[in-house]
Amino acid sequence: MSRKIERLINLTIALLATKRYLTKSEIFRSVEGYEGSEETKERMFERDKDDLRNLGVAIEVGSFDPVFEDEAGYRIKPEKYSLDLGEISGVQIALLSLAAEAWRGAALDTSAHSALTKLRSVGVESDLDALPAIAPRFNAAHKDFQIITNAISKRARISFTYVSSTLELQQRNIEPYAIATKGSFWYLAGNDLEKSELRTFRLDRIDGDIFISKDAQKYEIPDGFDLFSHFENQELGKIATVDVRKGKAHLLRTHALSTVDMGEWDRITTSYISSQKFIELVLWHGDDALIIEPQELRREIVAKLTEIVAHHV
Amino acid sequence: MSKSTQTPLGRTARLLDLVPFLATHQGIELKTLSENFDVTDAQMVADLTTLWMCGLPGYTPLELMDLSFESGFVTIHNAETLSHPRALSDEEIIALLLGLDVVIASLPNDRNDLKLIALDLVDRLSTRSSIPSKMSAVPATPGSVRAIIESSLLEKGAVEILYHSSYSDETSSRVVTPIELREENGFEYLWGVCQSAHGLRSFRLDRIQEVAPRSKSAEATPAVNNEQRDGISYTIHAHSRPREAIERFAINKADFTENAQVISYSIEWIKRSVLASAGSVEVVEPASIRAEILNSAQSILDRYQRC
Repeated sequence: MSRKIERLINLTIALLATKRYLTKSEIFRSVEGYEGSEETKERMFERDKDDLRNLGVAIEVGSFDPVFEDEAGYRIKPEKYSLDLGEISGVQIALLSLAAEAWRGAALDTSAHSALTKLRSVGVESDLDALPAIAPRFNAAHKDFQIITNAISKRARISFTYVSSTLELQQRNIEPYAIATKGSFWYLAGNDLEKSELRTFRLDRIDGDIFISKDAQKYEIPDGFDLFSHFENQELGKIATVDVRKGKAHLLRTHALSTVDMGEWDRITTSYISSQKFIELVLWHGDDALIIEPQELRREIVAKLTEIVAHHV
Repeated sequence: MSKSTQTPLGRTARLLDLVPFLATHQGIELKTLSENFDVTDAQMVADLTTLWMCGLPGYTPLELMDLSFESGFVTIHNAETLSHPRALSDEEIIALLLGLDVVIASLPNDRNDLKLIALDLVDRLSTRSSIPSKMSAVPATPGSVRAIIESSLLEKGAVEILYHSSYSDETSSRVVTPIELREENGFEYLWGVCQSAHGLRSFRLDRIQEVAPRSKSAEATPAVNNEQRDGISYTIHAHSRPREAIERFAINKADFTENAQVISYSIEWIKRSVLASAGSVEVVEPASIRAEILNSAQSILDRYQRC
């Protein structure tokens, strides 16, 4: 195994150091580790190229001689190979370290850790003292989380079993666009291939494993796609007026747009997107919250309450 | 140690990253180096030995990398070709972008200067990734709350928290000696001895509105009241939207049947949860809880019909 690793490293060094394209025969002659028949060497080289590309090392293929395009040559351009974030300060390194640290024990721990190693190799000391004490942390999310990020980087399709609102197990095939987290949940957005439309999935509702498609079918991610703004813009927030008891209903009050003191009660206005979710939130507060307007929301909550009564008489 | 670090590709990646790291950390102790790369010392020595055989074509001592590590301290020379760190992969960039988002959200409001620096990093990283979509993270818990709790865990000190209990709908101040941070059902909880309740309690981190370390002198070892709170057992039936019912009542999907048995610790919580299920959940038994829910729902309904 060491021989193979040595050969990969030596190949990287040779292709990085060269100022011009190296032909295969030059590589076989000069880079250590290419042995055996011509065919064996060829096969070794093909596999090595694939391996390095899988590691993200961009090998360029070019013509060795512009006049006689007889043999292809290879090289790695240092500017493509190397990390380049521009001028970077100790404070910036410290912020990036905290960003990586947020993944400790969570899904992207390995990627965050390797990113951090590269950043620390730039040779700029991290200035952690310049930052206030903060320790943000991601929750564990789905065990196959990394498969999703891997798929997004490769533009590969994924499939999984999803628990529908009626607990049905549905098979989904998705071209993933983005992942995002809000509150305590992780979301995945992508093109649902059966439904041919954009869908969002909560990762904790995925049942079992996530599979990445091996076929080379690639897709495009819409430029600038943003999971949250995409779905929030579809339905503009509506405004409700709610009476809430003094000192109560904090969850409703935190989103209040206005508050009017009415003695024992406060009258607040607040915006909501889904009437279903909003009614649930108002009902959670029992007799401490009463919807005043709009009428249609009142009718809806009365219908729900009637249903609850009917179930429990 | 993750599995990928032992595959030939995983090792090659590590060796490529090892060279620039050593170039900027000359004389680093072998032990520290292994810890940094999350491998054993023996594995690190094997890695360094492999690297020592690599270099520019020719492979005479003039071309080979020059490593020394027998003393327990590692130096590298003659490794200019590989001395720049490798570009970040798309997956590494995703991890950093999401991480920066939660860092920005956790920075105090008066540190706009740092937020701007972080936003500039988001820009730089985004342009270096091949992914055109935006990855965003809005954290459940402000990072400052965690930082104070983590440091009190280390110092074994107490904290004073302003906590909003969702089922009593009340905000109260409590003194808690933290024991651990634990994740359950996607939420992060602080477990600790609550001095006000003289017992072990858990607090959902996103409901802690304020936290401050408690000065050492004010502390007395809290007496733990070990009485187990008795759970209330009841049965629910989901008329519709069963996924919501199992999520709200934290029922294991495998255990979910037409009438599912649930155990909770507070009547108040059960009542609120059934009301908030908006007619999709019925408490089948006991009759006493059914009656309470009926009463609540009926009296709210009466109020809607009055005004």
